[in-house]
Amino acid sequence: MLEFLRVALNVAWKDLRVEHRSKTALVSAIAFAALVLVIFNFARDAAAVSREMLAPSVLWITFSFSGVIALNRSFALERENAALDGLLLAPVSRSALFLGKYLANLAFVFTVEAVTLPLFVLFFGVDLSGVLAGIVLTAILATTGFVAVGTVFAAMTVRTRFAELMLPLLVLPFLLPPVIGAVQVTARLLSGRPVSEIAGWLRILAFYDLVFVTLCLLLFPALMDE
Amino acid sequence: MQVDPSANAGYLTAAYIVTALILGGYALVLFRRGRRR
Amino acid sequence: MTADLVGARRWIRRGQILTALGLLGLALVYVLALRYTSVERFQGLPQKIFYVHVPAAWSALLSFSLVGITSILYLWLRDPRLDRFADSCAAVGLVFSMVMLTTGPLWARPVWNTWWTWDARLTFTLILFFLFLGYRALRGAIQDPGERARFSAVLGILGMVLVPFVHLTVYLFRTLHPQPIVLKPSAPSLPGDMLRTLLISVGVYTILLIGFVVMRYGVAARESLETSDAG
Repeated sequence: MLEFLRVALNVAWKDLRVEHRSKTALVSAIAFAALVLVIFNFARDAAAVSREMLAPSVLWITFSFSGVIALNRSFALERENAALDGLLLAPVSRSALFLGKYLANLAFVFTVEAVTLPLFVLFFGVDLSGVLAGIVLTAILATTGFVAVGTVFAAMTVRTRFAELMLPLLVLPFLLPPVIGAVQVTARLLSGRPVSEIAGWLRILAFYDLVFVTLCLLLFPALMDE
Repeated sequence: MQVDPSANAGYLTAAYIVTALILGGYALVLFRRGRRR
Repeated sequence: MTADLVGARRWIRRGQILTALGLLGLALVYVLALRYTSVERFQGLPQKIFYVHVPAAWSALLSFSLVGITSILYLWLRDPRLDRFADSCAAVGLVFSMVMLTTGPLWARPVWNTWWTWDARLTFTLILFFLFLGYRALRGAIQDPGERARFSAVLGILGMVLVPFVHLTVYLFRTLHPQPIVLKPSAPSLPGDMLRTLLISVGVYTILLIGFVVMRYGVAARESLETSDAG
């Protein structure tokens, strides 16, 4: 068990260190998020649609798009350097490999979200006092789920020809439950609804995470078989 | 709200035709693939 | 080798017969639905789209479940025939979900005055369509048969688990946002002749489903024999 975690953390750390050195993917994801926020602000007819109505959806569109961009780069490095085969030669558990990749992706997407949230507050002028913790919790719950599935699909599509198109196509249906849930919770938090209304959605999000992270851990080894 | 029964027959026709085209068309495709040597 | 080829041909033949029967049945259903079933009072003629739409949903969902189950079996047993069967079901499911996606809006427009609505059923249809499409796209993008089978199986399983979540999410969303009451002809209190036509249609669609899958399976089996002979 300890060995398992050690391998996973090693893989995650290596991934993050590589990213830290180049920073390109992180910068592009954040720039993209900022762009989306700006566009939505200008596209909105201020008289007809209030910022509060639009805010939850915009936030989550930004998060999920940036998330997909982040996932695309997940195995790209291995593909370019054929390093994946090297990794697979090592006598490590495939699930540990997945966990490492997954954790690295999570860290990456969380970073993008952490930078995007203040931008969001700035551009949309929403008041997060009192609900910040709720928003963060929701973000963690929703992101945890779709990044797991996205990591699996990233591994699948990395060697295909239209990887950048295939990944979003495959991931899209899996984004629906977490994103819908997250938007619902965010909307309610922003309009000051009581927690009792939100609890149900949070439970669904948590359940989704539990089911899919477990499933991905179990299924990933099948992808890496020879 | 009651709808005049003969109204909107166009939608019905379209739906039935489209269905027949899709299912029949696919059957045709499979038949030809089955026949091909 | 030759025995396998004969086997494949036999599957094709069986599939052809079943499909031909199914198509005849479909013609019968058309006549039944259009001439010998009463017109629904509130929706009028477009309600009859029900008889081609609902069985398509049934077939699409059945195909999908079969893909999921065979995917699990494949990962367990690694028998290429299971992969071939899953592939066939996915291809056929895509066709039925296309029927759903075209007849759905054609029905919605006259009855609800909109081409699309994000209710549980139509949203579900769209998701199913994307899952089938993704499955096809994935298979098309991978050359190695073993890899293709494994990857598809993973997708099939993930998709199968996803479906209840999507349904639950959209349903929860709908109940918290009350929609104007829409007449649902699929309510249990369906008049006798409508129920009869629906059930016959479901039976016909099922025959078509089996016929399609069997034909597709036979063709795929024969093609894999041809490539292995040539290679």
